[in-house]
Amino acid sequence: MVTDADEKALTRFVYREARLADESSYDEWEALWDDDAVYWVPRGDGEFDPAKHVSHLYDHRQRIATRIRQLKTGYRYSQIPVSPMRRMISNLEFFDGENEGEFEVQYNFILAELAIQSTHEMNFWVGRTTIKVRGDLDVPRLFYKKIALVDGDEPIPSLSFII
Amino acid sequence: MGRMDNFSPIDYGELVQEDRIHGSLYIDEDVYNDEMDRIFHKGWAFVGHDSEIPNVGDYVTRMVGKQSVIMMRSKDMKVRVFLNRCQHRGNQLCNEKQGNKRALACPYHGWAYNTEGELKDVPYKGGFDKPLSDFNLEQPRTDDYRGFVWACLAQEGISLLEHLGRATELFDRACDLSPEGELNLTAGWDRHRYLANWKMLPENDTDGYHVNFTHRSFVEAIDSQYGDFVQEEESIEGVVIDWGMGHTEIDFARGYKEPLKWFGVTEAKVPEYVQAMKDAYGDEEAMEKLRVGPPHACIFPNLFLGEMNIVIFQPEAVGGCVQWHTPMFLKGAEQLNYRLLRQSEGAMGPSSFLVADDATIAQLTQRTLEQGQPWCDLSRGMGREVEEPNGNLVSHMTDETNNRGFWKHYKVVMEG
Repeated sequence: MVTDADEKALTRFVYREARLADESSYDEWEALWDDDAVYWVPRGDGEFDPAKHVSHLYDHRQRIATRIRQLKTGYRYSQIPVSPMRRMISNLEFFDGENEGEFEVQYNFILAELAIQSTHEMNFWVGRTTIKVRGDLDVPRLFYKKIALVDGDEPIPSLSFII
Repeated sequence: MGRMDNFSPIDYGELVQEDRIHGSLYIDEDVYNDEMDRIFHKGWAFVGHDSEIPNVGDYVTRMVGKQSVIMMRSKDMKVRVFLNRCQHRGNQLCNEKQGNKRALACPYHGWAYNTEGELKDVPYKGGFDKPLSDFNLEQPRTDDYRGFVWACLAQEGISLLEHLGRATELFDRACDLSPEGELNLTAGWDRHRYLANWKMLPENDTDGYHVNFTHRSFVEAIDSQYGDFVQEEESIEGVVIDWGMGHTEIDFARGYKEPLKWFGVTEAKVPEYVQAMKDAYGDEEAMEKLRVGPPHACIFPNLFLGEMNIVIFQPEAVGGCVQWHTPMFLKGAEQLNYRLLRQSEGAMGPSSFLVADDATIAQLTQRTLEQGQPWCDLSRGMGREVEEPNGNLVSHMTDETNNRGFWKHYKVVMEG
């Protein structure tokens, strides 16, 4: 049972995570993750299995750390300068998680990303996100984030920022 | 120099010189249209792999130049390639990327073709007097090498084996990493859009010179087999090879001492695979295959055997292309698949640690070439490349021998 207070706390977390991603606040964003992290961008909304099908990205905790470390080297050209970004979030739905003390939130998003490092085009990334968190909802631990892009199984531009 | 105006014919002999090429080749729409015609429509292009369509009626749709084609497993188990166009009024037959069909039925007037491409049914037959057999689907010349299916829209011309030339050896090297000698491309394709000319893909994918610069963030953040190549010029053992016919390679193997270095593991980590390879090829040959590893080679014009990835280059417009990739699963070695998936995502595609940065560089190059068309120099290594007995030109890993190999063949094809 997800209470109103839980929903409020979870919504605050969703917005905070989105802002850290928008602003490429790498360290603060990485610090949200728990040790059993799964950060996954499948090829859209279809029946994709990360053990059988190639994804855009499928990171465990260590690979998230590598991803952030690479972004911070100062030579990750696909993010130099970092893409200015803002995302809108709506259609939030809240669910109990699989285990006691875990919650799942699903929401739609539209992300405007300015590819300032190359084409200067505004890329629009649209899809539905599923996150799973646990622990004290004032400072929840994120352990799952799946981003199903509307155009995930079409050709997409470079996606080396935090989505 | 180049073209004086848009009316004179394009002089490819002038634009493609031995040591340099002209920037207009990346931005001129007439050049692009010539390429689609002479390279992709008159020559051989890679379409797909037979493991993508194992069952009767399985199909995928792909682009060959500007032409959509259907690659289908027919009832007689043969793989056929059809133009994706109804013979009646030219409507697109198949709109899906992949699937399974018992027949190809046109959504416009219901003309139906069997999996062999034969027209079998025309609704309301009373008004149609022509023989159905005059309206079978158009089939380009189609051939395969070790499951890699190619098509040539022109009915006349060289054979696939002539097109591949010595480079069949590179396919053998890839396939023979499977204890069964076969690949299984079943993971689907990730597609990455570049707003850059398609030729930057084959050029960049076998460019050994850029690794230490474009991929500096990768080298600093990640321990991999590429780390060994970031060193002093004289201690780099990898080489680049021009295989002829526009096929080009970076051969990392000349620097590999231990088996499985290319996979980032030791024998102890994948014992079943090592044993299966020994059972299939004998101890000595198996260990040599495991040391050498997969090729890193572009096969003219649109295929990249990218180590444990299979990659397709798809031109979309003069300033746009798509790079497709899928992990190269090995039949009889399914225990490698999970690691292959994660390595594939790490190396190739929009979120990868490597190619995301190549795409940025390519897009910046495209923008600057559009501002004015300089000559691009490709002379590096001309003074030190060596011809091997089989005819391959070999040089230091940072040399532009293989880029020259691509352009040499490009010129032959474009001059017709």
